[in-house]
Amino acid sequence: MPSRWRQPLAELGWPIGIGIALLMLWEIAVRTLGIRSIILPPPSEIIAAIIARRELLLTHLWPSLYLTVLGFALSVVGGILVAVLITYSSILRRSFYPIIVVSQVVPKISIAPLFIVWFGTGTMSSLLLAFLIAFFPMTINSALGFQSIDEDIHRMARTFMGSRWQIFWKIRMPNALPYIFSGMKISITLAIIGVIVSEFVASQEGIGYLIKLAGGLLDTPLMMAAITVLSISGLALYGLIAVAEQRSVYWQSSSDVSGSAGG
Amino acid sequence: MLAATSSSVPMSAVNRGPSDAPPVLRVDGVRKSYRNLEAIRNVSLDVGESEFVSVLGPSGCGKSTLLMMVAGVVDPSAGEISINGSAVIGPRPEIGVVFQQPVLLPWRTVLDNVLFPIELLKLPRAKYRPRAMELLAMAKIDDFANHLPRQLSGGMRQRASICRALIHDPSILLMDEPFSALDAITRDEMGVELLRIWQANRKTVIFVTHSIREAAFLSDRVLVMGRRPATIIEEVKIGLPRPRELAMMESEPFNQYVRRLRKSIEASHAQ
Repeated sequence: MPSRWRQPLAELGWPIGIGIALLMLWEIAVRTLGIRSIILPPPSEIIAAIIARRELLLTHLWPSLYLTVLGFALSVVGGILVAVLITYSSILRRSFYPIIVVSQVVPKISIAPLFIVWFGTGTMSSLLLAFLIAFFPMTINSALGFQSIDEDIHRMARTFMGSRWQIFWKIRMPNALPYIFSGMKISITLAIIGVIVSEFVASQEGIGYLIKLAGGLLDTPLMMAAITVLSISGLALYGLIAVAEQRSVYWQSSSDVSGSAGG
Repeated sequence: MLAATSSSVPMSAVNRGPSDAPPVLRVDGVRKSYRNLEAIRNVSLDVGESEFVSVLGPSGCGKSTLLMMVAGVVDPSAGEISINGSAVIGPRPEIGVVFQQPVLLPWRTVLDNVLFPIELLKLPRAKYRPRAMELLAMAKIDDFANHLPRQLSGGMRQRASICRALIHDPSILLMDEPFSALDAITRDEMGVELLRIWQANRKTVIFVTHSIREAAFLSDRVLVMGRRPATIIEEVKIGLPRPRELAMMESEPFNQYVRRLRKSIEASHAQ
């Protein structure tokens, strides 16, 4: 095992231990206080529900995950493209950048019903909402990364006859990578929120739909099971990005650059 | 035409490089102003082949600007700079630059950093790889070829950046206070190392510094620059034998040169 993994794993020990302790406390409290599982099911019952209804959960999980990843991917591509445009065109930067920033005042989740009106209750609405929410931190972080290159490095590349194209690919892009990854880590969690909210509002499938449905049926264990499965999936997606970051931003530790813009 | 010819010090009467050979670098009546601020006033100098010339002056006197104009990344407001007879209108491949900071790319290994100019110049990387290793060996950091810059000390990073400046075999090496970010001991060692590398490659070197001792120790010729607006106020030829060793810094002739240079700088301050 490479030594750089040992440290994070050791640091995970504490939160995992405390997490397990809290779950046990929850289990004991629910049982001794006699709380009905329709109000708050104990962890054991949630786990049982996950196992018993795994097919139902998976049926609804896949479309949500699919839309999340797709919306996220679109936001990454779109965010980086817009960031490049903003970096190289001062007209675009001065005209669009303030609009993008000001538009963040609108709570994007409130647009969900509007999207249903425009794009129907299908996957299009979910996808677009996920994209819209995830897009902003991607753009801001990437733009910051592209623009934050050291003036000395820029000058060095110019004295060695570097072209704008070379300076972009060989300097700006790698320099922006840590920032892009910070943006991606924020965007993936936001994309999940976008999809779930859209499924709450109007959808016939997806984990958000299942949570709402279980709520309507007062099937709290199923609701909690769906939330748990969703959370674990979200954590896995986040973890994938974190691993990719460790691999590609090998020259600095991830704590050197922290997320600079939330959504 | 030449600023230094008016100086009263006998040795400064010659502002040309080693006699007969045509100058590798000619700076002719160059000025630089930013809006109303005149940074450099009428600088002229010739540097001959394989010559080691220092430009000595106080911080912020415009000597770095002069160097960047020679590198072709800053345009002079007036006057002309030519290299091997052709006018400088932009960056060119026969120049290698070493900056005050190593400015290595943190995501590249030392070797890949040294090969960076080769990539920018679109030359075959594989062909220059052995040369890069040779240069690294000469700078005594070949063991670190595959390390990232952050794993190196400040002195080692600056050595790597000197290798980078030499990789494409430029005829002129421009050095912009390359050792000023290093501690005094490392700095002296780097001076000796630089002379050793220079002796082996015989590039023309323009070395900008604010250290009198450094200028005297390294150079064939020291051009003293005055306060802003900067111009060359004196030229001193350093007649110390080569190869130079650190012990020379204790010698009387060396100290005479140091005193002379100091006097010249102080005189410019008094004006």
